[in-house]
Amino acid sequence: MKTVKIKKGWQFKIAGIPSKQLKDCPAVSIVAFVPDKLPFIKPRLLVQKGDHVLIGSVLFEDKKYPELKFLSPGCGTISDITYGPRRALHEIVITLDSDEIFETFEKLTESGFDQIKRSSLIDRLMAGGMWPFLRQLPFRQIADPDSLPNAVWVTLGSADPFQPKAYVYLNEQADFFEFGIKVLRRLVDMVNICRYDEPCDKNNSAANRVTHRILGKYPASDPGVVLYHTKKTAAENQDWYIDGQDVIHLGKFFKTGAYPIDRIVSFSDGSSKNSCHFKTRTGVCLKDIASSPLNDQHKINDPHKRWVVGGVLSGYTSTRDAFLDPYQTSVMVMEETHESELFGFVRPGLKKISNSRTVISTFSAAPLPINSDMHGENRPCVNCGYCAKICPVDIMPQFTYKSIDADEIEEALAYGLLDCVECGLCSFVCPSKIELSDFLITAKHRYHKEINQVV
Amino acid sequence: MFNQFEKNLRRFFEKSSTHFSKGGRFYKFHPLFEALETIFFTPAIPARCPPFVRDGIDLKRFMSIVLLALIPPLFFGIYNTGYQSQLSGGNDLNFFNIIISGLLTVMPMIIVSYAAGFFWEILFSVIRKHPISEGFLVTGLLFPMTLPPTVPLWQVAVGISFGVVIGKEVFGGTGRNIFNPALTARAFLFFAYPAKMSGDRVWVAVVDSASTMISAVSGATPLAVTALLPSFETIESMLHRAGFTLSTLFLGNYPGSVGGTSALCCLIGALILIITGVASYRIILGGVAGLLITSFLLGIVSTTPLNPWADINPLYHLAAGGFAFGIVYMATDPVSAPGTHTSKWFYGFFIGMLTVVIRVFNPAYPEGVMMAILFMNLFAPLFDFIEIRFRVSKRIPNV
Repeated sequence: MKTVKIKKGWQFKIAGIPSKQLKDCPAVSIVAFVPDKLPFIKPRLLVQKGDHVLIGSVLFEDKKYPELKFLSPGCGTISDITYGPRRALHEIVITLDSDEIFETFEKLTESGFDQIKRSSLIDRLMAGGMWPFLRQLPFRQIADPDSLPNAVWVTLGSADPFQPKAYVYLNEQADFFEFGIKVLRRLVDMVNICRYDEPCDKNNSAANRVTHRILGKYPASDPGVVLYHTKKTAAENQDWYIDGQDVIHLGKFFKTGAYPIDRIVSFSDGSSKNSCHFKTRTGVCLKDIASSPLNDQHKINDPHKRWVVGGVLSGYTSTRDAFLDPYQTSVMVMEETHESELFGFVRPGLKKISNSRTVISTFSAAPLPINSDMHGENRPCVNCGYCAKICPVDIMPQFTYKSIDADEIEEALAYGLLDCVECGLCSFVCPSKIELSDFLITAKHRYHKEINQVV
Repeated sequence: MFNQFEKNLRRFFEKSSTHFSKGGRFYKFHPLFEALETIFFTPAIPARCPPFVRDGIDLKRFMSIVLLALIPPLFFGIYNTGYQSQLSGGNDLNFFNIIISGLLTVMPMIIVSYAAGFFWEILFSVIRKHPISEGFLVTGLLFPMTLPPTVPLWQVAVGISFGVVIGKEVFGGTGRNIFNPALTARAFLFFAYPAKMSGDRVWVAVVDSASTMISAVSGATPLAVTALLPSFETIESMLHRAGFTLSTLFLGNYPGSVGGTSALCCLIGALILIITGVASYRIILGGVAGLLITSFLLGIVSTTPLNPWADINPLYHLAAGGFAFGIVYMATDPVSAPGTHTSKWFYGFFIGMLTVVIRVFNPAYPEGVMMAILFMNLFAPLFDFIEIRFRVSKRIPNV
């Protein structure tokens, strides 16, 4: 087992870290598939409003790669299909039947697995809707089935304490995990299993398979960060990666022959009382996760709350009526402030979160409450270098951002634009409140679009 | 009572904001109103892009820390200016008189500097329609602190105008300037009005209570006193004879520019800046190292007292003149300094080295640190360029 130590990053000091406790979510009556956040996918819809679907029925496919199917996370009637700006498919809402039926897929036994070829395994994964869980660096698109990467990185646990803990979802799932790893081995010769340093059940066989132990602050556990610190050649840049929970799903899919829809989601509302893991399902409505009877109803229903899906620093804003997209496993409800602060900039900052040492709270380790405020106004870059100091992949965001601004994309690429792991730390620390990470991610996506253009 | 004050203030800004918002009567002066409002109230702006948690630091806080670090040299500067003035005027040396006299000399300079500078800042931000940046809060205070106390106030205004307009705004404003605006302003005055900026008659201001005019008396600075050194005397003894022991130089109780005399106060400021992480310790330590090493080497090389400052104990270089002030507050200005780590060491080192070289080989410019910093400002982008090239060559390419 290799130990990878990552020095740069940010130590979370935020209150309301989800506890290890795993609670069951009450049954829900409505789920949805959210194609919005699928990277670089153009959906071709194969169902329409009013259709009846089973769990695992095909909802839509990718226009560019029609073999790539996306399956229904629920059994019931499609009650609504909504579109976003430019008629982009936004949500496919399914009203669930009381008794849900699974679409059956061909099971795979241990002996049967030995005979199956790589290509037919890929076909099965594509048809079974499991392929999208495999992603490819550096653009984080869905893995290209025609390519053969150097390695696939499996991430167990996260340096972001608001993401689900590995030992919560690995509990009693070791068999599925094992089988999932076996499937990955067939696809790619090298399977690197990274465990972020947190106590893991020793008896769990998954713990023994770990190849890389990751030490460091957020976002040390991100496959992009680990890859950056371990890669030897440029050929490794296009490595694949997959989350530990999805590996369990891979195993489950082949062992049970059903499209797996269960999901363990970490939920936090900033208080230690309500924050824990929830056992729920793919495509669940966010408010249904939170409306567990144990939660403080009044607080959750407050309209002045911001719902952030996918991690405190790398997630996106959602609403309480939105649905969980298939990749995300973390939901956070935070305060949204609308009150300006008198003499905010000269206050000693006992309750302010900061990576810099300009607030008093820096000198204590106590977790602090957060809100979604900018804590300042946008200003020109003064080259303070805070972003370069924290960037886990040494990009020097201030220079990269300036070269992107000057349309010098070659320059930006040389600085390591594609190594960007989209962790959001550069935007977080910037005293001038420049949207650095947004800038870099947009440039990356633009570049992806450009190189994938059909001439 | 405090809550009541806050409430009233909030109401006041809410009421006036209608005139300054789009379509209002004074919409043109929106940046001015906004600058004023945000001094009192840090606005609540929800984050639009991820991450939705943002650091508690903003540029205002960043710059306030620099202002905080400037307080020790400022207070000492007020005291010292008053003290030298009272001493030369033969007046009573009680603390109260000293402070009053110091305030009477220094405060008008600061007020003029801020007023003239803010005039340009506001003008440019109104025309360019961008918010007023906090950087000027520092520039406007730094500049008068580098001046001799006898400087006429109109020169303060002219100097800061040059510094803000030519030193900063013509390049596009905060964050885009090549030179440190405060030093640009000082260099301008130094070359445009040398009679008021150098020599031995400018460093002590005597406040004449009858006419409230500030007149100058002779009071040489340690750097100037050694210019005419008899060849048989060592520089240390000469300095001692003139009353400049190492401890005097360190404490700063001698005639000189308003804020730049006390190395001790600059040390306190440096500690504040380094502990809070606002200034780069690399530049400061690099500068000190450059100064000490260069002066030490020059001391070995020079056998005859060719030039008095070549032969001196390196610590004198460190304590004398404006070096401490320059390296702590001027060289660490992030905009005009390089942004990469190793470059910062080199940048600081060369500032220290050049300071000594200028002091030793060209006594016509006793304040070598100003020239050294401005000169190295010019090279900062080159340092960055070289280090970035080097770093990029070490990366495994990813395209």
